[in-house]
Amino acid sequence: MPHASIIVPAFNAEATLDATLRSLRAQTFTDLEIIVVDDGSSDRTARIAADHAGEDGRVQLVMQANRGLAGARNSGIQVARGAIIGFCDADDLWRPHKLAAHVRHLAEAPAVGLSFSGSALIDGAGQPLGLAQRPRLWGIRPDHVFLRNPVGNGSAAVLRRAALDAIAWRPAGETVRDWWFDERFRQSEDIECWLRLALTSDWQIEGVPGTLTAYRVNPAGLSAAGGRQLAAWERVVAKLAPLAPDFFARHTPAARAYQLRYLARRAVSAGDGREALRLVLASLRLSRHPLVNEPAKTLVTLAAALALRLFGAAVLPAPFARRSA
Amino acid sequence: MTQILPAAAPARLRVVHLVDDGNWGGVTRGMKFLGRDADLAASAQHSVVTVSRSALSAPALEADVIVSHLAISWRALPFLTALRARYAHLPMAHVEHSYCEGFVAGNVLHRLRFQTLLRSAFAMFDRICSVSAAQGEWLVARGLVGRERLQVLRSCGGVADFLDLPLAEGAPRAFGAIGRFDRQKGFDLLIEAFRRVAVPGATLTLVGDGPERGRLEALAAGDPRIGFAGYSASPATMMRRFDAVVMPSRWEAYGLVALEAMAAGRDLLVSGVDGLADHVGRGARLCRGREAEDWAAALTDLAAQDPAQACARRLAGRAAVVGAEAEFRAGYDRLVRDLSAAPELARAV
Repeated sequence: MPHASIIVPAFNAEATLDATLRSLRAQTFTDLEIIVVDDGSSDRTARIAADHAGEDGRVQLVMQANRGLAGARNSGIQVARGAIIGFCDADDLWRPHKLAAHVRHLAEAPAVGLSFSGSALIDGAGQPLGLAQRPRLWGIRPDHVFLRNPVGNGSAAVLRRAALDAIAWRPAGETVRDWWFDERFRQSEDIECWLRLALTSDWQIEGVPGTLTAYRVNPAGLSAAGGRQLAAWERVVAKLAPLAPDFFARHTPAARAYQLRYLARRAVSAGDGREALRLVLASLRLSRHPLVNEPAKTLVTLAAALALRLFGAAVLPAPFARRSA
Repeated sequence: MTQILPAAAPARLRVVHLVDDGNWGGVTRGMKFLGRDADLAASAQHSVVTVSRSALSAPALEADVIVSHLAISWRALPFLTALRARYAHLPMAHVEHSYCEGFVAGNVLHRLRFQTLLRSAFAMFDRICSVSAAQGEWLVARGLVGRERLQVLRSCGGVADFLDLPLAEGAPRAFGAIGRFDRQKGFDLLIEAFRRVAVPGATLTLVGDGPERGRLEALAAGDPRIGFAGYSASPATMMRRFDAVVMPSRWEAYGLVALEAMAAGRDLLVSGVDGLADHVGRGARLCRGREAEDWAAALTDLAAQDPAQACARRLAGRAAVVGAEAEFRAGYDRLVRDLSAAPELARAV
């Protein structure tokens, strides 16, 4: 049995899946299996995965009717045999030493259930944007997960199987297999899962240094998704609040402020100055936490939203023309 | 303090159990059982002493073995240290009634600091007893106790009265939930779930009291099928009213009520957290979901079970726990025997 399983949920990913699988097959830690879950794609996704499976016995393809990202990951977990399980979206890349770093981390830290790393951002063509997600790595408490989600993106985390199974359940109406990610969420499914792990188990969430994931930023379709994104986030809060009412009563305003600031930055990237300004002001009204703890990022967001509102997109520096997390 | 015993008299070991005023529920019931059980008294003299955890010095105790049932906290550390220092020559054990994975998940933000507290406190004792196998696995897995220093000693408040009850009959309609009205027990979730259950004739009774009473009453308002009752002097009499017992606990180091429900031949539905996993291993039904709709579905399934199968299941559950008292006695006998035979056994440095 392989020590590690890497699950690749893939939906219409023909443009990027090949590079993703090459990066996974090139991991320096080789005792692994790669499970591509084709989530009902209508393009060549399955064909590309099957080609890799033909070349490398460690790659296998699972096909299913579309269930969404959470449902694809769950189907992957269901068939995974490894003692540790990582996730890599079908448009992202893992640096060659990533898996080795997490394998060592989990071996040395028995209390850690989820190991993650920072990420470098790449563009649609796979070129570095010169931007990175460098989250807090140590001393992570549940409130850090809620406010800042240090795990960052869907291709950063490697978990112990035991930690995943601590949060498994089978909802009413599901007859086939367990759920680990909540398939009712089509957005915010990551934060829902990590926060549930933090609030219902005592597995630690901890990072390893370095930007070991290359996270692809897609400039298309940012503006329209903002409202849905916030609605999904609010549903996560509504779902999990009964687990720890005091925790949510205390931390939700600050967490919502960070969420609004994040959406404001996305609105800036999408060129919508009016929406960006509305969101960043709403964020500032809710909580001073982002201003006190991350003043530069908060003030830059405010300045960018103002500039965009007053002068239009031409004034913004390059990073904002795309997106930052 | 040395007592001169008559040379011929077999020296019964004096085991002093320390409890504090913060103890309630399962701990108290277990102590009562310990104190009155004749078979246990035959092998050792068990007595219970109430102490104040925040005291800075240890009381005078006439003991050969000390067993702590105290709740560990930073404030209690000076007392535990004083206890270890004063009775450095005596074997000491600690029974961990409170802390388990679900407790930490639901209550502790600074988890590494909390683990340091537990490790420091546990280091004062020669043996640590978990009250469920699942809690013991957690203590070992998190490196809080070495496996060689751990003993699983499941609680028992006596099951004879429950074993005497006639089995529940037919598909369950009278659902009961018993315990302190505290967030721990998940009764809020249970009320929300039961309100969605549309089984004719189904009732839910919550037995207990505690800080959440007002909130629970508000959640139940307007549904005449849901009732409240105070603790009864006879838990077995209370159990008789129910066909099924529900435990949606958010954490539960062991869950004495689960043991009693199975002994009583009642259906048992549990969340499976921590020590409740032990009861699932003995035949309790499991609901892993943490939302009202999950529990509503599980309650509906329970109510819809085939009566013949339900009867067989209740009998099997009763059979699985019929030896609980004997297991409890054997556990304490073993603890006392091991500790007194080799007081330096695996003593922490």
